[in-house]
Amino acid sequence: MKLTRRNFLAWAGISAMGAVACDVFEDELRVQSPVALPEDLVKGKENWYATLCGTCPNSEGVVVRVVEGRAKKVQGNPNYPTNLGAQSARCDLGLQQLYHPDRISAPLRLNGEKASGRFDSITWSRALDEVSKELSARDGAVAMISPPMRGYSAVIADEFIKAFGGKRIEFESLDLKTYRTAIKNVFGQDIQPHYDIGHAQYVLSFGADFLSTWVSPTQWEVGYGEFRDSDHSKRGIMTHVDSRFSVTASNADRWIPIAPGQEGKLALSIAYVIIEEGLYPSNVDISSLTSGQGLNALAGYSPENIGSQLGTPDNVLGSHSVSELIRTVAREFASHSPAIALGGGTAGASTNGLFNLESIYLLNHLVGSVGKEGGVILNPEPPIKELKGYSNSHTLTDIEELIKDIKASKIKMLFVYNANPVYGSPDWSGLEQVLNSDDLYMVNIGSFVNETNHYADMILPDRNYMEDWGNDIPEPSAGYQTVGVQQPIVNPLSDMDPRSSSDVLLTLAQDSGKDSSLPWRSLEDALKGMSDELFELNRGSVSGTTKQEFWTNLLRQGGWWDKSATGADVSDINGLINKITVKSKDPKLSGNGEFYLVPFLHNSLLDGRNGDIPWAQGTPDPITSVAWQTWIEINDKVADDKGIREGDVIEIRSGAEAIKGIAFVSPAQPPDVISIPLGQGRTVGSAYATDRLDGESANVLNIVENNKIEGTDGLAWAATTVNITNTGTSLRIAKFEGDYESREVGFTEGEELIKTTSPGDHDH
Amino acid sequence: MVIKIEHKWGMVVDLDKCTGCNGCVVACQAENNLPINTKDLFMQKRAFEWIRIERYWEGEFPNVKARYLPVMCQHCGNAPCEPVCPVYATYHNDQGLNVQVYNRCVGTRYCINNCTYQVRFFNFWEPTWPERLQNQLNPDVTVRTRGITEKCTFCVQRIRRAEITVERRERTKLNDKTMAARNFMPACVQACPTNALMFGDQNNQEDKIHGYFEELHNHEGHSDSRGYRILEEIGTDPSVIYLKKVDQFKMEHSESHG
Repeated sequence: MKLTRRNFLAWAGISAMGAVACDVFEDELRVQSPVALPEDLVKGKENWYATLCGTCPNSEGVVVRVVEGRAKKVQGNPNYPTNLGAQSARCDLGLQQLYHPDRISAPLRLNGEKASGRFDSITWSRALDEVSKELSARDGAVAMISPPMRGYSAVIADEFIKAFGGKRIEFESLDLKTYRTAIKNVFGQDIQPHYDIGHAQYVLSFGADFLSTWVSPTQWEVGYGEFRDSDHSKRGIMTHVDSRFSVTASNADRWIPIAPGQEGKLALSIAYVIIEEGLYPSNVDISSLTSGQGLNALAGYSPENIGSQLGTPDNVLGSHSVSELIRTVAREFASHSPAIALGGGTAGASTNGLFNLESIYLLNHLVGSVGKEGGVILNPEPPIKELKGYSNSHTLTDIEELIKDIKASKIKMLFVYNANPVYGSPDWSGLEQVLNSDDLYMVNIGSFVNETNHYADMILPDRNYMEDWGNDIPEPSAGYQTVGVQQPIVNPLSDMDPRSSSDVLLTLAQDSGKDSSLPWRSLEDALKGMSDELFELNRGSVSGTTKQEFWTNLLRQGGWWDKSATGADVSDINGLINKITVKSKDPKLSGNGEFYLVPFLHNSLLDGRNGDIPWAQGTPDPITSVAWQTWIEINDKVADDKGIREGDVIEIRSGAEAIKGIAFVSPAQPPDVISIPLGQGRTVGSAYATDRLDGESANVLNIVENNKIEGTDGLAWAATTVNITNTGTSLRIAKFEGDYESREVGFTEGEELIKTTSPGDHDH
Repeated sequence: MVIKIEHKWGMVVDLDKCTGCNGCVVACQAENNLPINTKDLFMQKRAFEWIRIERYWEGEFPNVKARYLPVMCQHCGNAPCEPVCPVYATYHNDQGLNVQVYNRCVGTRYCINNCTYQVRFFNFWEPTWPERLQNQLNPDVTVRTRGITEKCTFCVQRIRRAEITVERRERTKLNDKTMAARNFMPACVQACPTNALMFGDQNNQEDKIHGYFEELHNHEGHSDSRGYRILEEIGTDPSVIYLKKVDQFKMEHSESHG
């Protein structure tokens, strides 16, 4: 039968009637549309807003996707100078911070004894009234602890605290004061430099896990991607010196294990070879660097002399001795121009950390890399005078001073501003005890309960960075003037009542009549003033014919930058080597433990600041793949000797203190080192941070002993030795490795999963 | 009849650039509504990672290497998971994507058994989020329920938006540059700080990845380029090319263990 339209309709009608008669469900008669993907789009317009990320100390430029008033995704801002569209494992964490179930929703006032954990939810007006009264009563005895801050929030916090006669301490668990001091002494400025890794031919790094957590990792990773441009015959070479097999060590072409505190000697020995063999460029003034002494300025630093003192094995990548290795690295470093030497982390965390870091950064002067593309690029002053291009450099010593002041009743009121110093400092500091005093009134500004605001009299909920204004001078910037701008991209949820902490400080100052140096009504007001100043400069990346248009474009772009406004080399190299060598000292170590203790920042939790965030907890560590727990990295052969297996609960003891963690047996761990990540061991906080079994979560800072770095008074957190004991119990280790059996293929030839090649063995 | 396939999506992973940072892993979880990987899920060996970083040890102290391998669905041209699905929940679409239709899936897990790369995940339990965290869920991506298999889609929701926005509305050709400019790259690619992950259209000569695929197909593995596909000997014809890690210095007597 020929199929005509009439026939088709007739048959369709008969079929439908038949189906109804036979009791077929109506739904099944419907002609289904071809199955599209379940990911089919839904209604709702998406917007991407540029702002600054608030989950890392160095605020990266991000764009956030907002659909129907809810933030959905954070991505790198492709235009922002430091991260150029890239992001780290931490950028998206802001979303879970924003919508966290345990976020504090309203002001909380202590109801009962301190540390009772009993708080009443009160209104903002009552909370601010009470804080104002306390401020008046305790005027002149006020202090503040905050993390390192830049931009107008730092200006407002500083002016606020000054108005009440106090001081603000910028607190970091693993402080960068020694690094900042070394930069000042070697390059002559407080502002951190940019390392132009993308254009470098050689990177020689010491201790700094710069591809994971050190200073501005995304910025360095962007450069690293260009550095490894193997398809264009310009693959850079990287040597990393470290006491631990870090993420950076695992990506280096050569990893040189070293005992903590010996990095400076190695750097000066490399300098020795460069001068001895005349490997420096002709424009490098060796006479000036050594006050005319030449190689004599480095007497005693020959590789043959130094090689046996470093704790480095003899057989690193085919070398027969450490002295041979030093000469090889020195020759490579000097012959691959431009080259960068950088250091931090454990290299600056021994008692001689300042000497180590200065020795390392000196190498850049020796090979003429300072101020050169592919070398150390010095950053300029910010374009706005009010703003600083660097954070203050405070240390645990400043906290100890504060503790004395609180005990002596010189400080009677303490503001703790988005920081958790009780968790972030070793127990022996005594901070926790002093905060538990009834004489001290503590106001805590933050979003989550933690070990510090456990002792608060008042907790004021802060806005998340996606709900608040802000700005930043990146530390470091990418070699030119940059001002990042943060804007509120979503409103707080209806059941949340947080307030901008800067606005709260402004209100408190105004209420007390102490706002003479705080001319702004709000942080937004201050930023608009800044925008007008930038507009008047009539240069940079933001266009606009009127101030209003400029402001709109500034927000749209996420900041202002001017690639032509670069820094200049202001280093004074006269006698630099002599100034460094006089500081030379061996590191002092605490205790007679069998192992060096090397703590390190966790890849996603960092120093514990992201501990409440489930994504941060559930992201496997790159080296061990462990999540949610504290693991103890121990060498595989040492573990064998001691009868320790993966999962065994180990007690690590330094002096009087001990912690417990789960053994992770690693073939890459130096035999004389125990390394433990920061970030776990939380006792007060959301369940994501605190709900752990005995033995699977510990704060490594509690076994770091009281050693200070000479010249900076920073905490020498890599100067402790420890002993370990197997407790005899074991726990399952929450690690991702081994979840999927595909790792078990690839053993037979032809099924190799990771293939390698040598430089020059390929073309493209 | 020969059907001309306009787009054929593919990925290139440069192992020499991957630092193992896990930026891609978190970006994928945020974009694709993956369940929270609780401690229990790790203990049960059931953690969800559509893209994961595998770490392999090579050598012994001090000459030891950690090799990183990002693994996601390889969107195989000859996918072992496809023919075993009794309900056609997994099929190959006309853009080279291995697609999982969640509302067809009945949870036999045959596809998971048959996947060479272990990149398919089964929801043994209903995924749950605290109420407030649900605000973050991406409305473009279905939340999978208990009993459903899920896996990397190359962020097909972004590809769809790209087609609608770039191709249909703006009448602009879809390529890796136009996709990157409008945030339409897969979340992992967009996140990668070292540009170790590249995404694009194998059929578009302007795309960065095109050359790698062309070279691989032309030389059938005998070229000097760094490109290879993992376990391609099995005949899966993956749409992901890996570029070999470059070893600047050779390690003597190295031994690998996984």
